[in-house]
Amino acid sequence: MNRRDFLKGLAATSFVSLSSASVLAPFKALAAGTMTNDDWLTTGSHFGAFKMKRKNGVIDQVIPFDLDKYPTDMINGVKGLVYNPSRVRYPMVRLDFLLKGHKSDTSQRGDFRFVRVTWDKALNLFKDSLDEVQTKYGPSGLHAGQTGWRATGQLHSSTSHMQRAVGMHGNFVKKIGDYSTGAGQTILPYILGSTEVYAQGTSWPLILEQSNTIILWSNDPYKNLQVGWNAETHESYGYLAQLKEKVKQGKIRVISIDPVVTKTQKYLGCEQLYVNPQTDVALMLGIAHEMVTQNLHDKKFIEGYSLGFEHFLPYLLGESDGIVKTPEWASKITGVTPEIIRDLAKVMTKGRTQIMMGWCIQRQQHGEQPYWMAAVLATMIGQIGLPGGGISYGHHYSSIGVPSSGAAAPGAFPRNLDEGQKPLFDNNDFKGASSTIPVARWIDAILEPGKTIDANGTKVTYPDVKMMVFSGNNPWNHHQDRNKMKQAFKKLECVVTIDINWTATCRFSDIVLPACTTFERNDIDVYGSYANRGVLAMQKMVEPLFESLSDFEIFTRFAKIMGKEQEYTRGMSEFDWLKKLYNECKADNAGKFDMPDFDTFWKDGYVHFGEGQPWTRHADFRNDPEMAPLGTPSGLIEIFSRKIAQFNYDDCPGHPTWMEKSERSHGGPGSDKYPVWMQSCHPDKRLHSQMCESEEYRATYTVKGREPVYLNPTDAQQRGIKDGDIVRVFNDRGQLLAGAVVSDSFPRGVIRIHEGAWYGPIGKDGSKQGGNEIGALCSYGDPNTLTQDIGTSKLAQACAAYTCLVNFEKYQGKVPEVSSFSGPIEAKV
Amino acid sequence: MIDKQIYATPMNQGRAMVYRLLSSLFAKELDHQLLHELTSSQAQAFFAQLASDPLLAQDIASLNSVLNTLNSDRALLELAADYCGLFLVGTKHSASPYASLYLGDNDVGDEVLLFGEQHQQMKTFLQQSQLMVQSEFPEPADHIAVILAYIAHQACCSDDKTQQAFITQYLHAWLPRFTDKVVAVDSGNFYAALARLTQAWVTSDCDALRAS
Amino acid sequence: MKWFINTWRTLNQPAKYLTLGTISLSAFLMGIIFWGGFNTALELTNTEEFCISCHSMESKPYQELQQTVHWSNHSGVRATCPDCHVPHNWSRKIGRKIEASHDMWGWLMQTVNTEEKFEAKRLEMASREWKRFDRDNSLACKNCHNYDSMKWEDMSKLAQKQMKRAAETDQSCIDCHKGIAHKLPEMGTSRAPELIAQVGAGESSLEANSSYFTALTKPLYFNEKTDVEAGTLNIATKVTVLETKGNRVKIGIDGWRKKVGAGRVIYYDFGLNILSAQLSKDAALEEGVMEVFEQKEDPMTGLIWQRVEAKIWTDADYLVKDLQPLWDYARDTYTNSCSVCHTQPAEAHFDANSWPGMFQGMIAFVNMDQDTQALVQKYLQEHSSTFDKSAH
Repeated sequence: MNRRDFLKGLAATSFVSLSSASVLAPFKALAAGTMTNDDWLTTGSHFGAFKMKRKNGVIDQVIPFDLDKYPTDMINGVKGLVYNPSRVRYPMVRLDFLLKGHKSDTSQRGDFRFVRVTWDKALNLFKDSLDEVQTKYGPSGLHAGQTGWRATGQLHSSTSHMQRAVGMHGNFVKKIGDYSTGAGQTILPYILGSTEVYAQGTSWPLILEQSNTIILWSNDPYKNLQVGWNAETHESYGYLAQLKEKVKQGKIRVISIDPVVTKTQKYLGCEQLYVNPQTDVALMLGIAHEMVTQNLHDKKFIEGYSLGFEHFLPYLLGESDGIVKTPEWASKITGVTPEIIRDLAKVMTKGRTQIMMGWCIQRQQHGEQPYWMAAVLATMIGQIGLPGGGISYGHHYSSIGVPSSGAAAPGAFPRNLDEGQKPLFDNNDFKGASSTIPVARWIDAILEPGKTIDANGTKVTYPDVKMMVFSGNNPWNHHQDRNKMKQAFKKLECVVTIDINWTATCRFSDIVLPACTTFERNDIDVYGSYANRGVLAMQKMVEPLFESLSDFEIFTRFAKIMGKEQEYTRGMSEFDWLKKLYNECKADNAGKFDMPDFDTFWKDGYVHFGEGQPWTRHADFRNDPEMAPLGTPSGLIEIFSRKIAQFNYDDCPGHPTWMEKSERSHGGPGSDKYPVWMQSCHPDKRLHSQMCESEEYRATYTVKGREPVYLNPTDAQQRGIKDGDIVRVFNDRGQLLAGAVVSDSFPRGVIRIHEGAWYGPIGKDGSKQGGNEIGALCSYGDPNTLTQDIGTSKLAQACAAYTCLVNFEKYQGKVPEVSSFSGPIEAKV
Repeated sequence: MIDKQIYATPMNQGRAMVYRLLSSLFAKELDHQLLHELTSSQAQAFFAQLASDPLLAQDIASLNSVLNTLNSDRALLELAADYCGLFLVGTKHSASPYASLYLGDNDVGDEVLLFGEQHQQMKTFLQQSQLMVQSEFPEPADHIAVILAYIAHQACCSDDKTQQAFITQYLHAWLPRFTDKVVAVDSGNFYAALARLTQAWVTSDCDALRAS
Repeated sequence: MKWFINTWRTLNQPAKYLTLGTISLSAFLMGIIFWGGFNTALELTNTEEFCISCHSMESKPYQELQQTVHWSNHSGVRATCPDCHVPHNWSRKIGRKIEASHDMWGWLMQTVNTEEKFEAKRLEMASREWKRFDRDNSLACKNCHNYDSMKWEDMSKLAQKQMKRAAETDQSCIDCHKGIAHKLPEMGTSRAPELIAQVGAGESSLEANSSYFTALTKPLYFNEKTDVEAGTLNIATKVTVLETKGNRVKIGIDGWRKKVGAGRVIYYDFGLNILSAQLSKDAALEEGVMEVFEQKEDPMTGLIWQRVEAKIWTDADYLVKDLQPLWDYARDTYTNSCSVCHTQPAEAHFDANSWPGMFQGMIAFVNMDQDTQALVQKYLQEHSSTFDKSAH
């Protein structure tokens, strides 16, 4: 048959009904979703406030916000977030869950078959699951309390929307604390009367003017200040530049006490004091001992402002436990010479000394102790409450130390139910289990329901969790021990995740709902985080891609299914809410900070509040401890806490104590088998796991497509590893592949892999389909494949990821593709 | 101005029907309605006619045999899961249906952003033909279903040379890579057969257009 | 006369805390007492003349109204005071009349008879009105402005979009349209206006030997006349009125103090850091101010605590009989403000002495004025696990 007849024959079948399904439509100018505006629009993110321009309706250029003088290059990754090929494009349900509901084969989770469903279907399935859990198990069967950093914006905050909507359905298990500062925020209220980690600190101008010595203890502000809780504008970097100048001129001595050479140390050109990992408390005790024996401590301050020094002294002097905490004793543990320890005691008590603690140091077993002991040191120095002196726990975070403008910030869409509103399932019976559990203990709870543990002076009984809901939250990044998580997830009947791109958490879920990015919705935010420099209009750049929706829209629809749409939105649209939040902020600032009407603000893109007044932390306490007491039980600094002592915890006694860790390198327990300490600190080029998926930007720091592992040159050489090689890092808990960066910034026995590296497991046999296997190899380099899932102590029960020993070798096998950045890979049936 | 009606020959109508069919099958999962249409006598006649081309026969047979097994909701869901795993979820381990991921000089494994250059280019083509992507189909314009539908539309309103140039540059240039990926990843047979059928059809159509 | 005083006091409470029965009955009595005839009086009180005969309106809100479209427009239809400020629904109207008796007190006391006084009170008064509009879903507006009769095509695109959305949900007009008939108050200058709007500015008369609670943080004075401050009395603190003189009352504050420094700080109870009052050094040492009773050692800190009673003067305002409205306000504020970044912990998650540390360490991102901050902290402490044993 010739082609002509062949084609004519086709036409003759008159098979035309398919035309109804055409994906094309007649062109309409200015159709819905078509954007023609090519002006610069303003928006913001954790990485910084910035401006964007579109071209043909697609985000084209990104430049920093006018007032951000020290922008980070992370904003270059924004386009890669929005137009990422692994966007969650449509609502999806795991096939077996769709077929069998709560009786599905949960061992499939991780990598298996999903199907697309309509929003209506997905949200109804979500609600049916909640119904089932509330009916069968009550509120203790549901954990919707795992929340984290979300994207910026006060209206669309994903965790608020999820918890308000799910809360309108029924009650659920919640968390207390967070992964970043769990131990610190629990211990410090007993010691210094506030969480400290999230409190404004002494202003940089006063520190620059008054400090003689700054101790950066396990602290890397130059790295960590790049990101902020709100739209960041990086004012801190101006002060760090001044500090660099002062260091150069010899006016301020900065000592970085850290096992590694930090980014900050390199930038400032300051001194480093190497200390063996996890031994900081011993070093502090050695310094304290020297202060006491040399009579360097401020007895008057201790007497007037603190409590319990006399109960601590016998321990320091060895009268209570037979071990005198001399510099020589400390030297053996810490690797720091007695001479240096003695010298430090002198340096710190001479002139004005500001101690700045980082957060990593409390994410280890007994992580409460270094924070407490550092507070004791600062008390002994006697400068708490003086400008440029004392101690801080947050100068590396979210513009802390930049003077606050003092203006009121906009409020947010409510996380909780409004007064008088009742959930559909108005049941508060947690069946004897706790309704709130320490944030990092949820996997334990799933694995051992009914178990009772000690936590912060109370008993916590684990609820029997059957369903989890996550929104804008990726615990398959931030929780420890992936293999343990896999065991736990098999026990869950239903997992719902709402996110923008296919995180590992999405892959381990049953229902996955597509949220749009921050840049596909209108919102409002503070800029400058703690400094609160102004209010930022976050203008929608493009319409939500695919079938993604804003968090507001997702949960408005969900509320509608519950018959609670009006209750949920209060009858207000996105713009009604923005106006309300703005106008309330304007009202709060009236008479103090002029704010234009909403329309002018929205057109301008921001309102600037200007710079605040320098301020000294704890100055009012120092001026009058009676009238301005600390929030501790005594109102004073508690060197010995009777309250903690009466909890009778073996791993957190009544005064700061050096305790050996379950795993410690440099001669500590377990180092014979796994000799290397792995630190998994906050990344330099991401916010936790946010931005990792942005490929072009990721390529600026990966090694052969893998997350970098930073290695000491000698350690690397001994294992035959060169810069750029692929390395397998392993211990009894797991294994991962990473790309070697050999650097003398890292001492022997110490490696670093930044947390937030997306989990991409592959089968032990190297097959792509094996993400759900216990013992799977992470193809990209997620350090939490290796970390241990234990509490810091019975006090905080917080994340202790830093107590982690590993070993590593040059990877000899066939190098697998990275599987982190995609949807589920189907296991062949 | 040339009257575009002159291109609406029965031959071109036949070609358009094939492109439209392929477009529909790539655009979304098979549902009951589409299945019903595909198993109707008209459709079967159409397939039979297509299968008379030996290059297409085997894949038509494969498609038909799958269609004949789709007699339950479960079977349709399994096929929908195949579709989802191939075209809706991901990147390297699936067969994303976007031209931009296969065109260009990027290495295998490099990710290209969605709604990029190819999307803009297709949008421009569509607009020139007074067309746009349906709002119910919220996909980039370089989605294979859009390109196939556009060719179906052009079949009856432009000359062979223009068509041939377009198909060669914007579809045939990346179709083999796409087909390989579908065949490698598909856990069933339907979409692998569909991709092979598409490639065979487009290749022969290109050849014929060039020769005419 | 005692029955009259009691009735008066009841009537001066915000209507929110009264049953409809009490309102109606009392309204009936009031009508007879003051005007002899209920309905006649009601009608009389519904005219603008009646309003401006007492309200100091010639100077302020009445003049402001005259600058707006609600006074003068194309159609010549004008809104009068009762159109907006008196509910049209009968039972609401009666309720409002009862509330308005508070205004009479204000008139007698010359609360807002000068421009300064008016401006100082403007926000509080406006907040009360806004709240009322919210309660009625802006019914007073909707009597003239009907969503159904709006001509969408005459509106701008933006207005159309927003009005249609508002119409769909029958949204309360005042949500968006504040400050359209009178000047919008300066919202940030007065203290805790929303709190005051909710709990009131205090009882109109105080009875000796009765207990009251502070509705704001208040200054303390050495005597009934002097402006020399003797310290501060914390919000939501229980005091006993001992003596009244003019605008001042002498009060007794019972509590415990730590035996440190000058012992100037009085706490709620033994061993609990729940702040009641802080005296100046002079006041603490002044003869007759601080009476000291037994002392005990606090096992949690080793500090010695002493039971004390301070007798000292304060202004007669912002003393309320009922603590619950303060707690209601605090709970609302806590639930809304402290959930901006994270889930707020349950009140009983911490004990009374842990809350200050947790609360102070988390408020950096929260907008609360000093009074509200102090109130919320106290609310959390007094609802902590120290008092509520039900949860953990």
